[in-house]
Amino acid sequence: MEMLKTSSGNIAVLQLKGRFDAHEVVPVGAWLQEQVDAGRVQIIINLEAVNFIDSTALSSLVRGLKHCREKGGELRLCCLQQPVRVIFELTRLDKAFTIHATQPEAVDALQ
Amino acid sequence: MKIAIVTTHPPGKGSLNEYAFHFVRFLRTKFENVSEIVLLVDELPEGEKYSFGQETGLIPVTVRVCWKFGAWDNALRIRKAVRESNPDIVLFNIQFASFAGGKVAAALGLLAPWMMRQAGFKTVVLLHNIMETVNLKQAGFGGNPLMENAVRQFGNMVTRFILHADLVAVTIPRYVEILESKYGANNVLLAPHGSFEEPSGEMPEAVPAGPPNIMTFGKFGTYKKVEVLVEAFERLLPAHPQAKLVVAGTDNPNVKGYLEGVRQKYAHVPNMHFTGYVSEEDVPRIFGESWVVIFPYTSTTGSSGVLHQAGAFGKAVVLPKLGDLEQLVVEEGYDGEFFEPENPQSLADAICRVIDHPERMLEIGSKNYLAANGLPITEVVDWYLIHFEQLLKK
Repeated sequence: MEMLKTSSGNIAVLQLKGRFDAHEVVPVGAWLQEQVDAGRVQIIINLEAVNFIDSTALSSLVRGLKHCREKGGELRLCCLQQPVRVIFELTRLDKAFTIHATQPEAVDALQ
Repeated sequence: MKIAIVTTHPPGKGSLNEYAFHFVRFLRTKFENVSEIVLLVDELPEGEKYSFGQETGLIPVTVRVCWKFGAWDNALRIRKAVRESNPDIVLFNIQFASFAGGKVAAALGLLAPWMMRQAGFKTVVLLHNIMETVNLKQAGFGGNPLMENAVRQFGNMVTRFILHADLVAVTIPRYVEILESKYGANNVLLAPHGSFEEPSGEMPEAVPAGPPNIMTFGKFGTYKKVEVLVEAFERLLPAHPQAKLVVAGTDNPNVKGYLEGVRQKYAHVPNMHFTGYVSEEDVPRIFGESWVVIFPYTSTTGSSGVLHQAGAFGKAVVLPKLGDLEQLVVEEGYDGEFFEPENPQSLADAICRVIDHPERMLEIGSKNYLAANGLPITEVVDWYLIHFEQLLKK
């Protein structure tokens, strides 16, 4: 899985590409922890190029969301492909995360 | 938030007690979200008692013994205890036979989530099985086809009551589909089962020293039947005369005396060991000594805590070809050898495919270890807390 790390103002943005599963969780979790530790708790994860997500990967996002909120921030998602959206709906995590249709929309919402 | 959990819990031996033990163990560490935990548990046999101290570094637990397995008025007892505890969230850790072995008392107990919701409490049910996938006859409920049909209709009605909870969590995707399509539910979610054990960071030894140790673990007598395993064991003894069969666990509360009956019926079979109840501290030893963990199930009633435990200890497993278990194995990244349910020869062959091939044993054990450690229950607890917070925002 590829990870593209960018930022927009004080918002940290991570674009993922490929299959997001148990084997890919460690670098994403480490990046999330790095952001939170550095006080960058406004985070967007762009899942446009992610075609599969499993429960371990979802769990890393839940952990990230929890840590951001504990520090007064927010982790938002954008650009979910249909198969990934289905998993979020099945787990009702689509209700826990704020999910935006586009990255600019997510950035605007967090600014 | 203050969370009340309606459940069994060790030293209580009712079903789902181990799940509750591990769930509560990690919930007690979530200081950011949780202020107090109230356990609404069942009565214990005379001489036993729940032991929770006010340990420093852990969220305090208050134990309220408020219901009794088999009682007809459990829902009322639970409602009274919840009202007195006044929690922010009530979580039920249940399956269809949690409250009683008898049909009526079991169903009446399952009205409790609906009653909590009616009483104004935010209510979440972790439902470990659903009526549609339970083989009632084998689960000890059906007597004849007419009765079985009547029980199923009754079960459908009870399911509708359970679905009055704010949220109903299940551990298998198909359960979500069934509850949504059959009952039109829109409050059901998939929540992973999670692994009980914390990752040790290294792959355990897959082939312990000594002769082959074939182990099965659980509460037996309903859909978990030992006979087929004993008969399979007899068939593999000529080739493995030193092999040992360990039946770890107790009777299902609905079928008291079952294991003693098995012991007597198969008294002629050598190298069989019945452990009786396995306490939490003995679980690592029981799994650690085993070469392979067998699931002699005739039907399934949800995700398998034993499968997750076997995975956490890096054990190879032998499973029946049953829809739910096969689905769980594939979806959660586990591996195992499969056998035709209730077929001793098929089971014996599957066991030999593991114990005669250490490399296969190691391969399965490694995969299961990685799958089980992928999502420890502490992270599953976080999922629930996120959902609880959403509910409280409403």
